[in-house]
Amino acid sequence: MEEQNLPWIILLLPLLSAVSILLFTRRSGNISALISTGSALITLLLGVVLLRMPDDAVVAAFPWLNLSSNFVVEIGFQIDQLSRGMMFVVTAIGAAVHVFSLAYMKDDEGKARYFAGLSFFMFSMTGIVFANNFVMMFVFWELVGFSSYVLIGHWFEKNSAADAAKKAFLTNRIGDFGFMIGILLVWGLTKSIYFTQIASEVVDEQVLEGVSNGLLMAMVLCVFCGAIGKSAQVPLHVWLPDAMEGPTPVSALIHAATMVAAGVYMLARISFLIPMSAGAGEVIAWIGAITALIAALMALQQDDIKRILAYSTLSQLGYMVMAVGIHAADAAMFHLFTHAFFKALLFLGSGAVIYACHHEQNIWKMGGLAKKMPITFVTFVIGTAALMGLPFVTSGFFSKEAILGAALHGHKALFVIAAFIVLLTAFYMTRLIVVAFLGKDRSDNAAKAKEVPALMWVPLVLLAVPSVVAGYEFFYKGMKLSPMSPAHEGPVNVWLIVISAAMLVFGIGMAFWGYRGESTEPMRLNRIAQVFAHKFYIDEAYAWLIKVFQDGLAAFTNFFDRAVLDGVIARLPAAGAFRLGSVMRRLQSGNLQSYGFLFGLGAVLIIYLVVFK
Amino acid sequence: MEVTLNHFLFVSGLLFAIGLAGVLVRRNVIVIFMCLELMLSAANLSLVAFSRFNLTESGGPDYNAQVFLFFIITVAAAEVAVGLAIIVALYRAKQTTDVTQINSMKN
Amino acid sequence: MPAYYLEIIVVVLGLTVLMVETFVSLRDKRSLGWLAILGLLVVLVLNFTVVETGGEGGNTPFWSFYVMDIPAQWFKGLALLATIFVILMSVDFSRVLSKGICPEVEDDGVDDCAENQVALSEFFALPIFICAGMMWMASAHHLVSIFVALETVTIGFYVIVAFMRRNVGSLEAGVKYLILGALSTGFLVYGFAWLFGVTGEMELGAIADALNAPDVHRTGALFAFALILIALCFKIGAVPFQIWIPDVYQGAPMPVTAFLSVGSKAAGFVILLRLLEPFMASEMLNANVTSVLVIIAAATILFGNLAALPQTNFKRLLAYSSVSHAGFLLMAVASAPAHPGVVSPVAAVSYYLAAYLMMTMLAFLIMNLIRVQRGDENLEAYKGLAKSSPFLAFAMLVAMASLAGVPLTAGFVGKFWVFVLALQEKHYYLVAFGVIGAAAGFYYYLKIVKSMYWDSPADAGSSAAVPVVVAWPTRIAIVLLVVGVFYFGVNPGALLSLFL
Repeated sequence: MEEQNLPWIILLLPLLSAVSILLFTRRSGNISALISTGSALITLLLGVVLLRMPDDAVVAAFPWLNLSSNFVVEIGFQIDQLSRGMMFVVTAIGAAVHVFSLAYMKDDEGKARYFAGLSFFMFSMTGIVFANNFVMMFVFWELVGFSSYVLIGHWFEKNSAADAAKKAFLTNRIGDFGFMIGILLVWGLTKSIYFTQIASEVVDEQVLEGVSNGLLMAMVLCVFCGAIGKSAQVPLHVWLPDAMEGPTPVSALIHAATMVAAGVYMLARISFLIPMSAGAGEVIAWIGAITALIAALMALQQDDIKRILAYSTLSQLGYMVMAVGIHAADAAMFHLFTHAFFKALLFLGSGAVIYACHHEQNIWKMGGLAKKMPITFVTFVIGTAALMGLPFVTSGFFSKEAILGAALHGHKALFVIAAFIVLLTAFYMTRLIVVAFLGKDRSDNAAKAKEVPALMWVPLVLLAVPSVVAGYEFFYKGMKLSPMSPAHEGPVNVWLIVISAAMLVFGIGMAFWGYRGESTEPMRLNRIAQVFAHKFYIDEAYAWLIKVFQDGLAAFTNFFDRAVLDGVIARLPAAGAFRLGSVMRRLQSGNLQSYGFLFGLGAVLIIYLVVFK
Repeated sequence: MEVTLNHFLFVSGLLFAIGLAGVLVRRNVIVIFMCLELMLSAANLSLVAFSRFNLTESGGPDYNAQVFLFFIITVAAAEVAVGLAIIVALYRAKQTTDVTQINSMKN
Repeated sequence: MPAYYLEIIVVVLGLTVLMVETFVSLRDKRSLGWLAILGLLVVLVLNFTVVETGGEGGNTPFWSFYVMDIPAQWFKGLALLATIFVILMSVDFSRVLSKGICPEVEDDGVDDCAENQVALSEFFALPIFICAGMMWMASAHHLVSIFVALETVTIGFYVIVAFMRRNVGSLEAGVKYLILGALSTGFLVYGFAWLFGVTGEMELGAIADALNAPDVHRTGALFAFALILIALCFKIGAVPFQIWIPDVYQGAPMPVTAFLSVGSKAAGFVILLRLLEPFMASEMLNANVTSVLVIIAAATILFGNLAALPQTNFKRLLAYSSVSHAGFLLMAVASAPAHPGVVSPVAAVSYYLAAYLMMTMLAFLIMNLIRVQRGDENLEAYKGLAKSSPFLAFAMLVAMASLAGVPLTAGFVGKFWVFVLALQEKHYYLVAFGVIGAAAGFYYYLKIVKSMYWDSPADAGSSAAVPVVVAWPTRIAIVLLVVGVFYFGVNPGALLSLFL
């Protein structure tokens, strides 16, 4: 096998799997599942092989749109450490999720559709990771949105799932619209859509010199809009918690580890553009920090196990975006890398719990699961420890320290927020574990729960390993991913560790003390807790805003429609068109003689027009 | 009086016009069909005339056109064979060859 | 292998089908259809592999009336593909066909005529002969060979349009097509005679030279052009000679309608392109030629799209749609041969026709199934199709989206290039008409989508709720066409690279 063809195979294999499921094996869920899982395992293998591919490897690109001789849009590949590492994350977690789904979706009606969706997602995500230009990335960006829509709405008979799918799709559209404008601005300003070309032009030839800062800022922020939508940053974060209506393995793969991280990945890809504009980085960092903070606050009072994890994901994504904003894209990518493993682990673990409890998602109706599901419990605790960033023994610690370190160097206010989030994270995760796993069972479903089958716990165990070791140097160096390590290496800042460890202990302690032995939410009546539980009423505010805006708009458009469009513009031509069409129809009398007559008339007309005019 | 190319073309044009007029005004399908053949004959006549007056370098007529003419006659024969068969079938189905009677499809 | 072997093989294939029917007793004559399809597939492969194109090797020098260039190869491929799909449809259609041929069944209830599948093999063989004619037409470069090839096609169509001889609709369509077709032949031949008279040549290359000469008789040449244009406008269904299209399309058997709308149109356009070339190249004539083409294109787009708006019979609706597409194609034909950096009109027309073949055949394949199994050609029959047969409904959705010109489909790219060419030529009025037409198109194409996906059948218990049975060859054909519509919509370069 030619090494140069490797990325093509990784890209096309999932597509092949999705297409063949749709065309041939739609009837048989089991065969479809095997095809899809097989393709995921093979791509994982290839993803590992890909890690050894050198940076200067040239992969044949496919000229997609030949718009003119000097503007060709390619399906091309940019193989560097960034894409190789991201590809490893996508394929590894993809494979684990596929295997987990074999058991989780065992009896689902739409199993074939589900696996076709997963395969299609893998294809689209691979396209984003490999893309060497903005247009290709945008195309696959949309495809990812589409597959996410299909998978969130997998149980479309449920209204809430159908609504969530629609919400995710529409919210993403808003962000993508900005992204598209951003791409056009980049293209307009740099005359190129290829990342490497733009990078070299920006750095070497300074084509952007003389362009006003406002325009540059608009360019960067419009591109950032894409990340706001896809990575669910404030104010477009509302779709992600609702997306938890999809099957849990989907949440693990798409809405925790890979797709939502695509925004961060894209920012890392174009991170050379951010310093071009003074102030753009600042905006990005603050949006990330605010997202991280309010999401962590919201997570404090959620009762649905998946929603807690969803808000936690939001919060961690905010972390990463903040890091990109303070020009520490490598730290962001490092955190993306480790976070993908432990968050996928947590989601799959929650999936195992939900499965064992017969689709019960409320943590207050669980309890005492630690004894009944020991493997799930242990792996879940490992994931939690990594998420909290337990010093020195978990991967999350290293990546989080990298971001905190960057914040400490760059921006003190952001550091304070980030450190406070460490406390919040420790608090809500401890609450989750104490309520769901410890104590005694609080419902029949929880009482009857037992350990999940091997197909489900094996992926958990396999993901637990990188959750611990992914932060160690030997792991990422072993995979030739050195740039993913923090750039701010050097002497470990002792104060940093002390502060974050203190926050951690404080958070764990508070939650442990507050929730041990409780059977209902002790802070239920607390005003502030209410605000958190209702997610700052942002959804309600949006609903109100949209209603007011829509009603106003509707009233206006109604007037406009009736008075102007209908009355003047549409009535006339539409009626005219129909009338004209009917007249033309009448020409079609069905009578051969009149046809002959029209033919003759036409002939005379044509001869007149050609010869005598 | 010498007969020139223009005389031939005039006659052929007349033939063509008569054929076309017949197609437009007659109601019997068979007569219409005959008029169509008349139009082909008009073309044949002008081809022969052009062949006779477009002398080649050797001084003889341009036989290309005359060969074409035979093709036209052959094709016309095939057309008539098929056409009459269709008309007969139509007559058997509707007991009429009047074109104004065949208008079940319209608009 | 010399290119004209292809036509010979196709003719032999047609004869073989007839011979097999005569000398071998078959239990099910539909197998002849498979034989025909197989044979045509082989020729299709040969067309793109064995045959030499371009250069002296592929062109036979002593036959001045046969050329094999890229467009010729391309249109031969289109003709073969169209024929394959048509025979595939004929196999599905055979049950309805025998009803249209056989007399009413006597009291004893045994229907010998239908049992014996009378005349089915002719119904397979005739499209093959027509296909040979179309393939020849693609290569014809001499007035005589153009005429003979064109008439081979036209006379073959007379027969298969009127094929259901007990069906009044089919007969009526046959007679209308016969009379008007013969009328157009009259104009064509008369035009050829004049063209020969003005130039003294019959080979198109020599005609081009003669028309470029300064002493050419201008009025005579334009008169010849007008006559030829009239005949070809009839073939492609351009205004004002589109009148036959709706009636004939509606009356003809479904596979024949598909063949007419794709094959006959493609053949008409290839001849038009060939015959226009000398006139376009002549500086004295091209202004007149272009201006009349622009007028015809605008009128055709307008007529086709507006008259389609109130239609309720699906076949008739597609007939008007075929008129409107002829108009869009004429937009490209009316542009000058070459602009730097833009596709040539020949490439644009070739691409458009390939896209048109895919989307129209897709629509007809599905319509054919509905016609055979539900006995209805009206839009009513499509209500709620998405519920009973989601696969067919989706394929139809793709066909309609492409016909309307939704981005990422082949139909969009086709329209795109056509508009680009018209803009290059600064035919702004034409572009305006094109936009109006395309907008109207969206309305009536999406009307069908709406009735498939949002309406429920008028009476719930009727046949409309029963899924439509799709045999596997038809299913494969539909899947291939859907994939093709998307593939060439996303990646137009795959086709255009042939011409660039």
